[in-house]
Amino acid sequence: MATTTVTIMKSKAVMDSDEHLQEPGEALAELRLLHLADSALPIGALAHSFGLEFLVSAGLLKVLDLPEFLRGFLEEAGMVEAVFCREAFRLARLDPGHLCADRWLEINDRLSALKPARESRQGSASLGRNFLGTVAGLGDFALLREALQASKQAGSSIHHSPAFGLTSGVVGLQESRSVLAYLHQTAASLVSACQRLLPLGQNGAARILWNLKPVIADTARRSAACALDDASCFMPLLDWAAMEHPGLETRLFIS
Amino acid sequence: MKTIPELAQAETDAQPARAVQSPVLACLCLDFERDPLTRQTVLAASHQEAPLRVLRAFTLEDGTALVHLHNVSGGLLGGDRLALRVRLDAGSNAQLTTTGATRLYRPRQEAPVTFQANEITVGEDALLEYLPDQLIPFAGARFSQRTSIRLARGAGLFWWEVLAPGREARGEIFEYASVELKTDLIALGKPIVAERVRLEPGNFVLSSLSRLGPCRTWATFYVCRVGLETRAWLALEQELRKLAQEWTVPGETFCGISTLAAHGLVVRCAASHGRHVLPGLRALWRAAKLRLYGREAVPPRKVY
Repeated sequence: MATTTVTIMKSKAVMDSDEHLQEPGEALAELRLLHLADSALPIGALAHSFGLEFLVSAGLLKVLDLPEFLRGFLEEAGMVEAVFCREAFRLARLDPGHLCADRWLEINDRLSALKPARESRQGSASLGRNFLGTVAGLGDFALLREALQASKQAGSSIHHSPAFGLTSGVVGLQESRSVLAYLHQTAASLVSACQRLLPLGQNGAARILWNLKPVIADTARRSAACALDDASCFMPLLDWAAMEHPGLETRLFIS
Repeated sequence: MKTIPELAQAETDAQPARAVQSPVLACLCLDFERDPLTRQTVLAASHQEAPLRVLRAFTLEDGTALVHLHNVSGGLLGGDRLALRVRLDAGSNAQLTTTGATRLYRPRQEAPVTFQANEITVGEDALLEYLPDQLIPFAGARFSQRTSIRLARGAGLFWWEVLAPGREARGEIFEYASVELKTDLIALGKPIVAERVRLEPGNFVLSSLSRLGPCRTWATFYVCRVGLETRAWLALEQELRKLAQEWTVPGETFCGISTLAAHGLVVRCAASHGRHVLPGLRALWRAAKLRLYGREAVPPRKVY
């Protein structure tokens, strides 16, 4: 009985903790995070499959394989993107009034160097630039404009995960929540691509995404302690598929 | 960028201090120069510490210096900390290969991770061809490799690495503990490759479609020539893709080609049988060298 009482009290405490959302700043931050991670944000995310299209066309990826495949994707590529998202978030918080442009360029150049397949690299860079450009136009975000300008001047790419991290830091979100949201929208985007490539219905897609949440949470947790230099990715079959994608005659996706 | 001794020290510091045997610390340093009179590349200086050995440099028909890298202990033992430093002076051409597969032996349980640092500098208009045999990690092996390659203006590189799943003939597949490969290619001071691979078969399923799927052997091959324009690389990507597609066998061998962010391209290969990998890499090497340098690739003598 005593245990039950404690449990109920704890649950109530958790529910009461939502009171922080009564604060206008907190509620605004939550809403902004939802907006940034929304697939409806017009950055072109729906146009990329990052190699999935070729993997499906080669008959290698089927609906039944998706849960395990996406789990591996999050453990490998998801981990790398989470680490870079965090790094850019921390950069934004380093000196809120000023961007360390050299570090910003270094983060993005390094992520370019980590992506072997041209189309996937360019896809990530396209999403990142569109993302930063879109959000920079939504308010008075001087640091985001600085980042855009620095990358343009250097002829450097802006990748999606650092753009998301930097933006989250600039608009006052929490680091780990931002990483979770980034990973979740990445997984949602891939599941959405699979719906267009495979006989995967809406309920099945929803179930896959629902069951991926523990992996997303675990990847975000592991990324907190991973240095930029240690972020690794081993996805040879997807690399191969992404490299072969340019040769596909009829394509639904850019990458 | 850390130097080899700094890297080795950092790795040593990161290890638990419970090794019961003294680890082998050895460095092999090779400096190549182009003789202006003969126009041939010579091994101008070398520093060798056992078990790493180089007997001599052979001159290939195009003036390239061919060197076989030996490890007289037959492979890498648990806790070994080895370093290879190679410098190619401006205009020199060198080809490095191994005398056989590099075996990563099963370590004692208390031995630290085996570590190999490679620090490579390719000078202006020099060319390095690094064409080793496979890395074979035995059951329980723990291996970490850190490679840093700096390319100057006009520098060229053909660099491959092949990772076997283990001793396939005795059915020892993915029984190693961990293999970590960190490779950085820096051209004119800017990173063009930052490959980070960490395989832990006990913790992450390698046979997942997101990783190797039906394959067991993995290879990566970098082709670079600093200064060549993007459109030239895109043309070479197209050309080599056709070759790679001939090599690809559905369900068995997968080979993809892509341009890098700048100055080169990368070949990624996954295969169910290791014997399919090296012949394919050699075919791509021949085609790329002919296109980039207008001359034939000369295979290391052991291949004859």
